[in-house]
Amino acid sequence: MIRLERATKEVRMKGVRKMIIDDVSVTFPRGKSIGLLGRNGAGKSTLLQIIAGTLELDRGRIIRQGKISWPLGFQGSFQGNLSGEQNVRFVARIYGVNTDELVAYVAEFAELGQFYHAPVRTYSSGMKARLAFGVSMGINFDYYLVDEITAVGDTNFKRKSQQTFKEKLSNSDVIMVSHSTGTLRDYCQTGIVLENGQMTYYDDINEAIAVHESNMKRH
Amino acid sequence: MQAIRALKPDRLYLLAVSVRGMPLNHLTTHLRIVSAFVIREIATRYGRSPGGYVWALLEPVAFIGLMSVLLGAIGRLPALGTSFTLFYATGYLAFNMYKGMEGYLASAISGNKSLMSYPKVSPFDAIVARLILQGMTSCVVAWVILYAALWTTSQPVTIQWSCIVEAIAFAWIMALGVALGNTVLFFKFPLYQKIFDIVMRPLFLLSGVFYVPAHMPHPFSDILLANPVTQIVVLFRDGFYVQHGDTGLDMPYLIAISAGLLFFGMLLFTLFPVARARD
Repeated sequence: MIRLERATKEVRMKGVRKMIIDDVSVTFPRGKSIGLLGRNGAGKSTLLQIIAGTLELDRGRIIRQGKISWPLGFQGSFQGNLSGEQNVRFVARIYGVNTDELVAYVAEFAELGQFYHAPVRTYSSGMKARLAFGVSMGINFDYYLVDEITAVGDTNFKRKSQQTFKEKLSNSDVIMVSHSTGTLRDYCQTGIVLENGQMTYYDDINEAIAVHESNMKRH
Repeated sequence: MQAIRALKPDRLYLLAVSVRGMPLNHLTTHLRIVSAFVIREIATRYGRSPGGYVWALLEPVAFIGLMSVLLGAIGRLPALGTSFTLFYATGYLAFNMYKGMEGYLASAISGNKSLMSYPKVSPFDAIVARLILQGMTSCVVAWVILYAALWTTSQPVTIQWSCIVEAIAFAWIMALGVALGNTVLFFKFPLYQKIFDIVMRPLFLLSGVFYVPAHMPHPFSDILLANPVTQIVVLFRDGFYVQHGDTGLDMPYLIAISAGLLFFGMLLFTLFPVARARD
């Protein structure tokens, strides 16, 4: 369960202020995946960061029960001079999971072959993405955060990663930001529309999509 | 008790968890993350040069050793003792306990910015990891150099460990305070970073590394001794040289400055969480 209680967050960027959420109280029940909808710049990614815990609220509080992932497929943390394996070890240590198990899992999943032991700076972007996706899949979370799912690799790899992710979701939930309504319908059962600092929760993702689309038509 | 009863059942559960297990859990999590950072820093600090972290020891040992021998060979009699090598080494090591730590800590966040995207990682973990790593490294470096430098003096040296330990502690506390504050200020005011670098460049000359500040003519000695880094150098040298008369050491001043810097550094770091701000 994740719950926001009278949560307020204003973002200031180079003198521009933007109210992301204004005195919002909402509960995300466990067991249902959530799609986050909103126009460009509404603050969907910021909200995801608040849920993850990498951004603090200005006022109010957030209660999290369960393990929450970093954004799926995040690869910014890979140190170019370290090998793929060393980078995986680091993530395993941070999350307190068995390092050898995770290293073995990612080795098999990411299909990097000899490159797994080579510095990450020698990787192609596809290889990096595969490594990142493998690490995300190798640790069990209660909530997976997804900011625009991006398919990586060739057709086979795509199929495999989709299948693995769907399997994960039998025990975990996803909180997903996407502009593709098809993807949202595919992964999420419920939805949240973010508009003018207000968050509205809909039990049915289709309803959320409908509201979002009518919002988009109004301006 | 009334307050607890007023809570909803699930709140009560949260309260019980936080009382029974969570603080310890948090501590072990942080320790685990800090150790992961230490291992990562060791692997990446000298990532592309062959030999890796060995350079973190060799570089300062070679630099300080060479400078000490060179300056010693010029043949001047040091202001204290008989060996200029020992005199210079004690001064420079004390200075670097502060300066080396401060520089390394100030880039702890900016150098690990991408890792702040992991919700599990707290920005302070990166700083603690560097504090531990740099602390251990500089102690090994100091030990190697001083051990060698002690051979160059003809006088017997009585080492006073309390002075040495205190000087190192003050140096690190001050470095931590300045670095925490600068993490925020460098981020908010890039121009300040340039100014700070320029202003701090003569610090080496003004910290009593190759002279004794108390021996300087009157107005200068007071100015030099007002520099807290000079105080650290004086205190560190007290651990090696028995001196008669006033060395200019002002412990209350040193304590007040280090505590003050640490306080303001932590205050800024807490009030402005820049570690995860977007650039």
